[in-house]
Amino acid sequence: MSADVLTAPTARRGGRVRAMLGRLFAVVLKDRFALVGTLIYVAFVLLAALAPALAPHDPMEIQFLESGRLARNVPPGDASHPLGTTSLGRDIYSQLLYGTRSALLVGVTAAFFVVAIGTLVGLVAGYAGGWIEVVLMRLTDIAFGIPFLPFVIILSAFLEPSVWNIVLAMSLVLWRDTARVIRSQVLTLRERAFVEAARVTGSSHPRILFMHIAPNVLPLSFLYGSIAVGWAILTEASISFLGFGDATIVSWGAMLQDAYQSQALSLGMYHWFVPPGVAIVLVVVAGFFISRGYEEILFPKLKE
Amino acid sequence: MRRIVGLTLVVLLACGAVAQGDPVRTITVLSQPQAAAPYEYQSIQLVANAWRQLGIDVEIQVSPWEQLSDIVWFNRQTWDATGWQMVGRPERSDPDEIVFNLFHSSTAEAGFNFVGYNNPAYDAVAEAQRVATDLDERQRLIYEAQAIIDQDQVYAFLVYPESIYAYRSDVWNPDSIVEQSGIGIKNTWTFIEAEPIGSQRDMVLNSNFVVQAINPLYISGSVDSWITELVWDRLLRVGPDGLPVPWSAESYEWIDDVTIDVVLRAGMTWHDGEPVTVEDVVFSFEAAGGGEAPMYTPFVSAIADIEIRDERTVRFTLTRPQAAFLTASLAKINLIPRHIWEPVLTDLQGQPENAESYQEDVPVGSGPFTFVRWRASEEVVLAANPNHWAAPKMDRWILRMIPNVEATLGALRSGELNFLAAYPGDPAVLAATARGNPIEVVASTDIGFRFVAFNHRRPPFDDAAFRRALSQAINRDLIIDAAYNDFATAANSPVSIALEFWNNPDVAGFETGMDLARQTLADAGYVLVDGRLHYPTGVSETLGR
Amino acid sequence: MRRLGSRLAQMVFVLWAVATILFLIFRLMPGNPLAAYIDPNFTVEQQRELMQRFGLDRPLHEQYVLYLGNLLRGDLGDSFFYRAPVTKLIWEVFPNTIALTLFALLIAYTVGTLGGIVLAWLRGTWVEGVTIPLVLTTRAAPEFWLGMLLLAVFSFNLGWFPSGGANSAGASFDSELARFLSLDFLRHLFLPATALAIYLHGLPLLLMRSNMLDVLQEDFVTMAKMKGLSHWTILVRHAARNALLPVVTAFAVGIGYSIGGNVVIETVFSWPGLGRLLVRAVSASDYPLAQGAFLVIAAVIVVMNFIADMLYSTLDPRVAHER
Repeated sequence: MSADVLTAPTARRGGRVRAMLGRLFAVVLKDRFALVGTLIYVAFVLLAALAPALAPHDPMEIQFLESGRLARNVPPGDASHPLGTTSLGRDIYSQLLYGTRSALLVGVTAAFFVVAIGTLVGLVAGYAGGWIEVVLMRLTDIAFGIPFLPFVIILSAFLEPSVWNIVLAMSLVLWRDTARVIRSQVLTLRERAFVEAARVTGSSHPRILFMHIAPNVLPLSFLYGSIAVGWAILTEASISFLGFGDATIVSWGAMLQDAYQSQALSLGMYHWFVPPGVAIVLVVVAGFFISRGYEEILFPKLKE
Repeated sequence: MRRIVGLTLVVLLACGAVAQGDPVRTITVLSQPQAAAPYEYQSIQLVANAWRQLGIDVEIQVSPWEQLSDIVWFNRQTWDATGWQMVGRPERSDPDEIVFNLFHSSTAEAGFNFVGYNNPAYDAVAEAQRVATDLDERQRLIYEAQAIIDQDQVYAFLVYPESIYAYRSDVWNPDSIVEQSGIGIKNTWTFIEAEPIGSQRDMVLNSNFVVQAINPLYISGSVDSWITELVWDRLLRVGPDGLPVPWSAESYEWIDDVTIDVVLRAGMTWHDGEPVTVEDVVFSFEAAGGGEAPMYTPFVSAIADIEIRDERTVRFTLTRPQAAFLTASLAKINLIPRHIWEPVLTDLQGQPENAESYQEDVPVGSGPFTFVRWRASEEVVLAANPNHWAAPKMDRWILRMIPNVEATLGALRSGELNFLAAYPGDPAVLAATARGNPIEVVASTDIGFRFVAFNHRRPPFDDAAFRRALSQAINRDLIIDAAYNDFATAANSPVSIALEFWNNPDVAGFETGMDLARQTLADAGYVLVDGRLHYPTGVSETLGR
Repeated sequence: MRRLGSRLAQMVFVLWAVATILFLIFRLMPGNPLAAYIDPNFTVEQQRELMQRFGLDRPLHEQYVLYLGNLLRGDLGDSFFYRAPVTKLIWEVFPNTIALTLFALLIAYTVGTLGGIVLAWLRGTWVEGVTIPLVLTTRAAPEFWLGMLLLAVFSFNLGWFPSGGANSAGASFDSELARFLSLDFLRHLFLPATALAIYLHGLPLLLMRSNMLDVLQEDFVTMAKMKGLSHWTILVRHAARNALLPVVTAFAVGIGYSIGGNVVIETVFSWPGLGRLLVRAVSASDYPLAQGAFLVIAAVIVVMNFIADMLYSTLDPRVAHER
């Protein structure tokens, strides 16, 4: 684990959160990977925010030629359709832009829940010990026994197909990795001098847990979060590809599925098939980069 | 005085404001997902656009086929309108199945009349054509039925699609490929006649759906029926021209309007070596009507009695004259071996399951192909039956399950497939693939049709004028272009133009247009208020907002 | 030995918990679980009789006991769609899925381990600077997208490999083993396995590299250096052997997780495997089949986690001591 993130805490608790953010920021500036990752994120957030202004068309609207015929498979470079149109006559560039929104929406919400649950479970299990720890860690074992993608498929198929059900399914399973790592961090922190000091001065348990220990594991949670964003986006794409996605929302996964079903490969329409894939790669890899390159994805259990 | 006038004015104005009924609620239209049925998805988008221009709030609900059919078929009160299709099958070469089953009020409860159309005048015509043995008289009645359906706009018919198939012309002799009218080249006749040119003597064809069952007493998926038609024989088969021809029957003869003698071909055997007997024939028809094969029961309901006349002759007596008997019964019922099925059916009696749930390990028929192997997610392999009197020219018939269209096309290009039996993709792409390769593409107008079904149980769809307006608002030419790549013909009748003798040409010129649709609505009393369509005066919305 | 016992008990517990969760998901879902089975011609009595046969008319807790009992006897029920035993359908495709997974992992871990050693050796050079982001990128690419691009290039355009399936049409073999060893099978296996391997190789590679770097700090390596052994000898003979352990463990865990994640690749390459069976079952509302496929995948994962744990504590004496 990157030691510089987890050095001893500052003495004054008022400055703790600010100090933590400061450390995080310092890491980002110092590490080229993290910097690139952050820049990619910023760019995508801007694109998502500006999508309605930048997109020339509604992404779902059927486009017509002046002759009144469907604007099908328009090649890229057209003034009104920079990336051309799909086989059903939708503007690819607009879909790509709007796809940013659903990607970030799914990615960030899912990552938030995954990390929030995981951190909380890890914190409590690590600090409380005893039967609470046993129960929580058995729960984590169970989560590790659930096949992730099949679980998401079953939930999103049996509940109605919606991105929120995909987020729900992810939150229910993926917290397991964060929980394990945070717990083992807490186990070592628990024995450290500053925690001991707090205990001696009579701080309550919740206070020790959330004021003294939590700030020290939050950077780790944050790193896990940046990986989880990627997982969420990849998962949404896979689910859309398999046909269990939310048909009312434009997402990169849905675009890829549309392109594949419409035989974009046979048609040689790589301008349709490649950009959404590249967009996914960029966002996901940005998460990996932010998590300080590589160490974090080394946890075997995270991989699936 | 002035105050009274003022008051009257206010009252009049108020009355003016309520001179229409409630606003029409948000209408939900169901569709299959784009991935599964791009043409339907796209059509429904265009239909919804058109309806919105009439001032109706339209919402599209996309569900996979299994869920969609669960709603439309089993929850008949709950939906407004849906994209739907009737597929072409050889038995549908006779219009009876479509004219009667789809629209007769007796099938509205649980049968094929899933829209709940109920018109006694129509019922009378549909019943009359069933017993009209005179061909011209029957044609007149079928024409009339189509005219009534046009008048009532029971469905908003969209198109007769062209079915597109292809084969490798370096593997199969093009002269041996048979085109069946309204069905295309993917048919039993092709599978029997197709002649290999070179060393590849197996026909490898594809399906984008999996095979559900291989069962002579169960009408399951349409892919399944390709197999049952090959493994089991029937007394008659629907020939390439759409008319029934003798098959396992050597000949047949009408004794009178309700009596027919059928002479069985001599020397036929089951795949297990047992001879095919008249007892087997009688058993097959009794099994179909015996309660354990409910999907076949309607096809034998007209039979009053079956009698063995001699070793090779069977006499069918009907309850009433039935015009479609040859196609709908004799060419429909699979001949099954009594020595295998009798114990099975006995066993099933008194159990909740019926013969539809029974799957033989090795299905045994007497047909031109024998069963070799079925791997659910992979392939079905049949072998040519050299002992059959119409033995196929090929060695094996291998059906591969390939879920996606891109892989299908790749396999055809590389020769892994040599017969394209299902192609839900873009016809232009197939044409482009065929250009540089020894691939022959054959498109033909289908017996089947695609449409938007209105649920007549739910107002305002119970109003023929409303349905007419909605149908008029749909631009078929646009749909043919935008959803079918021009591989379709505009439709306004359930009897396809592929059935030349039966299709009523007078209903073809259905006039459409947005202005016409608005006029139709206005004439029927519907009113636009602030761009939103309202019911005629005094009519209130009974089904929510 | 005691550890083995408690770990075994834990495995059984997790299996039971997953089975229970699955039971609840399927029973508490909206809609009639028999909808896909009951056809329109069934009378109300027949439907009731069927509900009875499947035990669906009983209270939930009784159904649950019935369900667990059936599971213990290895009875997964009958598929609604195919009307055949679920176990039969699963065994038909299970070997294909295992073959694909193992083959892909073998490629991934061979390439990954060797690559990790080389990268550790080249630490701080420009090669490292280029390779690591590249490896991360392969892990960030959606598998199906990668698979389609491979399919488009090597099958559709170049025609080197078949476009899907596990065997040529109508191919028949004396035994399942003969099938797996046939050239025909390997030709079909190659592209999907490669697509998976491209996705999977990043983990062993980065893991191996970082373990190598750790091990290289340790005393015995310094000793070896002092003895004057060459850099490469130290790297391979001494460091790599010690660094390999976590990779072996990851391999075992990887088998379980890949089987769950194969769903997508199997769909792209029309591979007749467990994942495709599951997808098909879910979209056809074939509850027993979906449930069975899910349980088998979960069982593989849980068992593999167990094996990995055991491997780890057997191979690494330190772990055994700690406990």
